[in-house]
Amino acid sequence: MSLTINSIADQSSQLIEAAKQYGAIHVDALAVCDTGDSISIRNGQVESVEREDAQGIGLRAFVESPAGGLAFATASSSDVSESGLKKLAKQVVAMARISEPDPDAVPPVGANHPGMDELKAWQAKHNRSDAGWNLELAKAAALECEQLARDYSSLISNSEGADACFGNSSVAYASSDGFFAEYAKASASLSVSVIAGTGEHMQRDYAWHRAFHADDLHSPQTIAEEAASRATARLNPGSMESGESMIIFEPRTATSLLGHLVGAINGRSVLQQRSFLADSLNQSIFPDFINIEDHPDHPDGLGNRLFDGEGTRCTLNNIISDGKLNTFLADRYVAKRLGQAETGSASRGLTGDIGIGSSNLIWQPGNSTQADMISSIGHGVLITELIGFGVNAVTGDYSRGAGGFLINDGKISHPVQGITIAGNLKDMFANIELIGSDLTWFGSSAVPSIAISGMTIAGE
Amino acid sequence: MLTNNSPPPCPLPIALETLQSVLSSLLPAHADDGDLYIEHSTSESLALEEGRVKHVSASTHQGMGARVIKGESAGHAFTDCFDHGALMQAGKSARAIAESGSSIAPVSIHSGKPTTSLYQAVNPSDGVDFLQRKTLLEELDALARSLDPRVLQVFANVSSSFSDIHIIRMDGCHIHDARPLVRLNISVVVEQNGKRETGSAGGGGRFALSRLTAGDQAKRLVREAVRLALLNLDAHDTPAGSMPVVLGPGWPGILLHEAIGHGLEGDFNRKGSSVFADKMGQRVAAKGITVVDDGTIPERRGSLSVDDEGTATNRTVLIEDGILTGYLMDKQNARLMGMQATGNGRRESYAHPVLPRMTNTFMLAGNDNPDDIIASLDRGIYAVNFGGGQVDITSGKFVFTTSEAYYVENGKIQYPVKGATLIGAGHEVLQKVSMIGNDLELDPGVGTCGKGGQSVPVGVGLPTIRIDDLTVGGTET
Repeated sequence: MSLTINSIADQSSQLIEAAKQYGAIHVDALAVCDTGDSISIRNGQVESVEREDAQGIGLRAFVESPAGGLAFATASSSDVSESGLKKLAKQVVAMARISEPDPDAVPPVGANHPGMDELKAWQAKHNRSDAGWNLELAKAAALECEQLARDYSSLISNSEGADACFGNSSVAYASSDGFFAEYAKASASLSVSVIAGTGEHMQRDYAWHRAFHADDLHSPQTIAEEAASRATARLNPGSMESGESMIIFEPRTATSLLGHLVGAINGRSVLQQRSFLADSLNQSIFPDFINIEDHPDHPDGLGNRLFDGEGTRCTLNNIISDGKLNTFLADRYVAKRLGQAETGSASRGLTGDIGIGSSNLIWQPGNSTQADMISSIGHGVLITELIGFGVNAVTGDYSRGAGGFLINDGKISHPVQGITIAGNLKDMFANIELIGSDLTWFGSSAVPSIAISGMTIAGE
Repeated sequence: MLTNNSPPPCPLPIALETLQSVLSSLLPAHADDGDLYIEHSTSESLALEEGRVKHVSASTHQGMGARVIKGESAGHAFTDCFDHGALMQAGKSARAIAESGSSIAPVSIHSGKPTTSLYQAVNPSDGVDFLQRKTLLEELDALARSLDPRVLQVFANVSSSFSDIHIIRMDGCHIHDARPLVRLNISVVVEQNGKRETGSAGGGGRFALSRLTAGDQAKRLVREAVRLALLNLDAHDTPAGSMPVVLGPGWPGILLHEAIGHGLEGDFNRKGSSVFADKMGQRVAAKGITVVDDGTIPERRGSLSVDDEGTATNRTVLIEDGILTGYLMDKQNARLMGMQATGNGRRESYAHPVLPRMTNTFMLAGNDNPDDIIASLDRGIYAVNFGGGQVDITSGKFVFTTSEAYYVENGKIQYPVKGATLIGAGHEVLQKVSMIGNDLELDPGVGTCGKGGQSVPVGVGLPTIRIDDLTVGGTET
């Protein structure tokens, strides 16, 4: 048996009933069916064609512990046959019975679910079941993009190819208090990666864009020019002296700062004392011109959602206003434990436990162009690339590999590579000097250029 | 356990006739290669936090990947659904890269030659039920808290998976592999005067879970995690700039994985996008350095009896006495480069394409005494433990980040320093190695490698080595 959007409702309710028969008190289920196509073009030839047809159901069951309190477990399967679902229900209940009860466990009932009218209005507004491409159209876009990138300059020596992908996903959530909702998502993406220079002097760069519909994608030409101009600009890099420096993160690298912030205000990490911001609620952690929001219904955001992984209605969260940290991100359990409001941030995949995540994160832009920022800092580095994972979530200590461009006398001078930038995220957040007007979207987050003082460069 | 028997014959989860018709309709007569990859995997995980085992989860993944290869092109299709229609549709989609044409003559599916199995074909969680695993995690939690009053939080996770893999090649040859994998991870948060730090340790491999739960190994991991966390409480700022670095044995072999391993993968070299593309036969490391990728070590996390194309794994010499001698190859890249497949064609699952990947990558031991290597540092860093790393194979720039490191002056270890990223260029760094220890160690079984959005388990290893010059990303100038 296969899963289709028409059968999800039936299969979810079958599954919930089966789990209850095995002894579960509360149950919720998430079902997903995805189809996707992608095509890769390299040197004008088709390098690969891929077709994905995936399905699965994840189930969470709560049982009453003999000692009192609720315990739960999660299980998932891509086998959605009747016998597969029965097995899944039986397995998850058996596992919940050995799980330790938690006095603060919150069953998936009584959540602040959206109403039927809201659901219908949402579905009408976000009617996304088709990304607008077929394989031929995707192939044409990838061919054009790759050709333009290779032809951009005689310095472009090789290609890693262009990829065009499109697909759609049907998601359904059901819980044993009778809430059931389903929605469809579609998206298309186009990317290209090219190499400039030869031998030991090669430099690679890429460009990428994703949108709900192929018509909303940046043009193949825009993407090609971004990738090729970045690759050529990186040629013949130097190093630089070690020491303290002013740093500008362009949007492409600034987006990682947003990631570190969201990791640190994840309510579960806060409970676990694994966050450098665990004790910073209601404190000014940024300068007063910084505002950051978690926006679940933004016209440009690919992370839009009406409800979260527990069926809780999502609302706008003003995470940072005038530099102050207003809230941690929480699912129902974490909200109860931290004694704060729910933020509709339960994020859930088919496998594993429920996690915490944002919808669309938007770092509100400032008024200066990037060129103004460069000229006003005078000397420093524009960081265009970061590599490695040197961030300690508990202490905020930060040390990452980086590349970019030296800024001298208020102007971009030569490319630099093989350097590291280091500091502590708490200081980095507090030492933001300027933010740009160049708000740039990357799927479900948007960020401008950010200038930070007081970081240490290691080079020669 | 090393056996010379193939795993017990495992029934295919799909009717033979169905697979035969999918295979016949999948492959055009002029295809270079193609296969079906059928997988059934189960995994289980228990996690303890705040003193309670409250995260218990399990998952089952099954599906088929169909693949057609023609020249530099490949068609792939994946389905989770085992009914005839879905499987035939997958075959048709994968064929989309080939022009229409006659199909291959019907083939009959038959068993391939038995291969040497490097691990036992049984579910590794057999014999250790959920309650025993739960009890183990609770004991480890209690042990961590008893070791030091500064231990604030303990996280313990035990996971196991068992993957049943069937590969059906173009000629109907059926190859079966059953792969166990287990892992235990401990992480602690400690606090002193309001300052918090963390430490973690893990281990695992392709063996029975009972191996991890019996004996002292689990307790050793707890002691190690607590030791690291407490050590980091006293860590000083790390110096910034270029200086000599000594790497300890074992997991610091992540250097090899990032600095040269990825750059020697066949796809990047065929396409000319790796900085190593034109360096075969040339000196890329100091004399005395030999680096191998060995997928044949019994029960190692990175080992495989056969790769995901059904090729038996190998010990491939990548660098011999400093000279570049080998690339890591899947079948497609080997064919296009006129070389032999090395048993390095791997995929995360049926739902991912095959890529050339590493298995267990390590440097052979040299003759130097590790203590002499540390004593050789006038002013530098001695790094024994690392988090993750990353590489840009085109420029060769790579990074890896310390999680246990010391500042050394006048040949003496002075104090621990905070985690810092080390950065270098893959085609240069091994030429700057001036001492090689006699203490080769492999890592404890914790590595996961990411490439093209796919994760696969890998291993690394290294003897103590001295690198004369590497950029250290500290904050102290």
